[in-house]
Amino acid sequence: MGATISRLADKPNLWPWLLLTPLALYLAVFFAVPLFDVAVMSFTEPSLSFANYERVLTGKLYQQVFMNTFMTAGLVTLSCLLVGYPLAYLMNHVTRRTAMLILLLVTMSFWTSFLVRTYAWMVLLGNNGPVVAFLAAIGVDPAPQLLFTRFSSTLAMVHILAPYMIMNIYTVMQKIDPVLIRSAESLGARGWSLFRHVYLPLTAPGIANGCVLVFVICIGFYVTPVLLGSPREQMVAGLIGTQIEEFLAFGMGSAMAIILLVITLAILAVYHRRFGLDKLWG
Amino acid sequence: MNSYLEIKNITKRFGDFTALHEVSLAVEKGEFVTFLGPSGSGKTTTLMIIAGFEKATSGDVLVQGQSLSGLAPYQRNIGIVFQNYALFPHKTAADNVYFPLQMRGYGRGEGLEKAAEMLDLVGLKGFGDRYPKELSGGQQQRVALARALVFEPSLLLLDEPLGALDKNLREQMQIEIKRIQRRLGVTTVFVTHDQSEAMSMSDRIVVFEQGRIQQAASPLDVYHRPKTRFVAGFVGESNLIPARITDAAAGKADSPVLGNCEVKANGAADGQDVTLLIRPEHIRLSREPVDGRKNARMQVDTIVNYGDNALVMGRVGDLNMRARVLGRDVIILEEGDECCISWLPESVFVIEQ
Amino acid sequence: MNRLMRILGVLVVIFIAAPLVIVVPMSFSDARSLQFPPPGYWLGYYYAFFNDWGWLRPTWNSIIIAAATMVLTMILVVPATFALVRYRFYGKSVADLMMMMPLAVPHIVMAVGYYSFLGDLRLVHTHFGVILAHTCLAVPIAFLVLSANLKGFDRTLERAAQSLGASPVRTFMHVTLPILRPGIMISALFAFIQSFDETVVAIFISGRNAETLPRKMFDSIRQEADPVIAVISTLLFAVVILALVAPAGWKSIRKRLRSKTPPAAILGSQ
Repeated sequence: MGATISRLADKPNLWPWLLLTPLALYLAVFFAVPLFDVAVMSFTEPSLSFANYERVLTGKLYQQVFMNTFMTAGLVTLSCLLVGYPLAYLMNHVTRRTAMLILLLVTMSFWTSFLVRTYAWMVLLGNNGPVVAFLAAIGVDPAPQLLFTRFSSTLAMVHILAPYMIMNIYTVMQKIDPVLIRSAESLGARGWSLFRHVYLPLTAPGIANGCVLVFVICIGFYVTPVLLGSPREQMVAGLIGTQIEEFLAFGMGSAMAIILLVITLAILAVYHRRFGLDKLWG
Repeated sequence: MNSYLEIKNITKRFGDFTALHEVSLAVEKGEFVTFLGPSGSGKTTTLMIIAGFEKATSGDVLVQGQSLSGLAPYQRNIGIVFQNYALFPHKTAADNVYFPLQMRGYGRGEGLEKAAEMLDLVGLKGFGDRYPKELSGGQQQRVALARALVFEPSLLLLDEPLGALDKNLREQMQIEIKRIQRRLGVTTVFVTHDQSEAMSMSDRIVVFEQGRIQQAASPLDVYHRPKTRFVAGFVGESNLIPARITDAAAGKADSPVLGNCEVKANGAADGQDVTLLIRPEHIRLSREPVDGRKNARMQVDTIVNYGDNALVMGRVGDLNMRARVLGRDVIILEEGDECCISWLPESVFVIEQ
Repeated sequence: MNRLMRILGVLVVIFIAAPLVIVVPMSFSDARSLQFPPPGYWLGYYYAFFNDWGWLRPTWNSIIIAAATMVLTMILVVPATFALVRYRFYGKSVADLMMMMPLAVPHIVMAVGYYSFLGDLRLVHTHFGVILAHTCLAVPIAFLVLSANLKGFDRTLERAAQSLGASPVRTFMHVTLPILRPGIMISALFAFIQSFDETVVAIFISGRNAETLPRKMFDSIRQEADPVIAVISTLLFAVVILALVAPAGWKSIRKRLRSKTPPAAILGSQ
């Protein structure tokens, strides 16, 4: 009691600084400097000006890509919620054993490389895949193009990001005291009203966590949209990649990267002020 | 002649808050001393200063005349049993007990042999290869005790070690700890906030309050001759009655509620304001006043039955009083009745504030 | 409400399981391109994977890079986590935030940064360059895992060790480290996986020389969707399942071993 406080108050300690310095230096050199490089390039490539930002912010193509990115991210977030909430609910209302099995499944999905999962969706949605076969069987022939559309990339992203949502909601749901639900029921809350007035508010923190996390990851998502999406409906990350790889337009790529970064950090900053960033991934 | 353990004028400040004020105490070799007090009274802080985990702002601790200040905890050779036992979860019971020997350079063979002997002494023969989580609370407690004793420490410190155990086990462990302590003759400081624990185990009780030692005396002295109102109230149940000494030589005091009382003044002077202590078990209940005792009329508010005895709570004037009587004596009474309470003059103890 | 939620829940389970389930049979397929269900089964693509340096080299690169990233990350993160969890000091909240930043920045942004930064250092397309970058990205995850463990560590154990005669160094070696070992190992595992799975930065900086498995898979899926991917996916699956199941298995094995050891063997000399 009072022990830790006294130790801190008594002597200014050098230990934490000594322990922290190697990592701090490392991150300064190999994380902050490259990030700073991006910012510099966005103003200096090919020449010192705001031209890159001007083009990104006023060009029709770029505006469309940003719009597309937000729409997609919003859609993915909403879908993840619609997918994640019922599952988290189910996990809290089945036997322990079943819940553990579902948890194992979700964990496995989470631990599986998203390249693998993207590939699996290519198989599922491909022209020789089961979905098309199923559609043909029920009379939808020829089947619509599924692969390389906004549909396929969105679906795959929902699948890839759903575990984040599920884990977040499941954790808060698990902490809800069953006595609380029973007492709400004894007070006359049933069905929808029980859900609306008791369950939903109690799980709100998990929902907020999951949504912020999914949205933020989604707006910066590169791999899945590039592999599964329509080339005509690129997302920001994909466009940045194209600028760098194909056109060697480092200035434009950097300017877009900085805008993406600012938006991401702005969302996280708002979140940080309300809840604290450490809770987001914890 | 120096005492075995000497605590000299220890003051401890946390920022502006003074946790200990000039605490001094001497403990003899082999003595079992209990620090008793409510939480925040400074008893644990004092223990931690002896152990070396806290540094006193001023003052010194000596064992056999040698100052401990300047010695790190691991150089002090003091055995401690912590509140939650603090057994190493990754070591078996035997390895836990072997640990202090290992730190002192014992070989594994000899060390484990000594550890096994010690486990035997605390009644855990054959439990050496169990991990802490495979042991019950009481067994973990015994391992912790064995570990703190195996290296023949100069002092044994026990920091509320029985708090986590249930009532029956606690009583059993009280007896057990006492037995082992007597057998090894190790000088022991025991910290608790449980007065019955302190009563039953100690050679001497040191009552702490607000960073000061209120009284250091034998259990019976602390109970029957408390030095302050706090001690009287903290140790056991008590009726505390404000009064003034009118004639110290003749043993007379005047209380606003009770009127004139016969007392032993215990050195209080004429005209001094004092508190009279009457333990509830010294009060007798009756319908009519009893000759040869001090009598008062009490309005009975509440009767709590414990079977063998009963607690009767009521008011004399505006003063709350409680009496503890044999179960069968209470049959005559009902809540709301008025009755007579009485006590012998020698049952009154004068506390000089 | 309840019923609706349950039905939806079951559908979601199918949605999540389907892509994971489909990959395994695909790896045994004898079709030349993506086709499900496969027309026939053989082990041809396993043979192809284990005989093609075009696949084995990236696999090996990934293992090397992930292992080195893990080591470097732990060297940096373990002391830093002790500092951040156990001490309060001026600027701590900033340091906490700094630790989490690599997780907040989109990988594509870092990819652009590393492309230019490592290019300047002539480290682009080298193992070393990828390791340097991956370590930054692994730091937050390793820190999150380890700090959760360290926060749960009961410091009374250290006091107990000291009261029993262990100096601070010996306390650390005999008590702190052994008890934290599982946490450190999980933290290291997370760092390894973070690097092994990392795709975006690797696509931009690993080049032909240090090509990692995810980069190779990405290129392959983009160009021709080589069915070997299914083989790799299945193998990776197997590793994941092993990692999830192994701890429980190891526990039961150890228990059995221990119960067979007579107490005398432990108490007896040497």
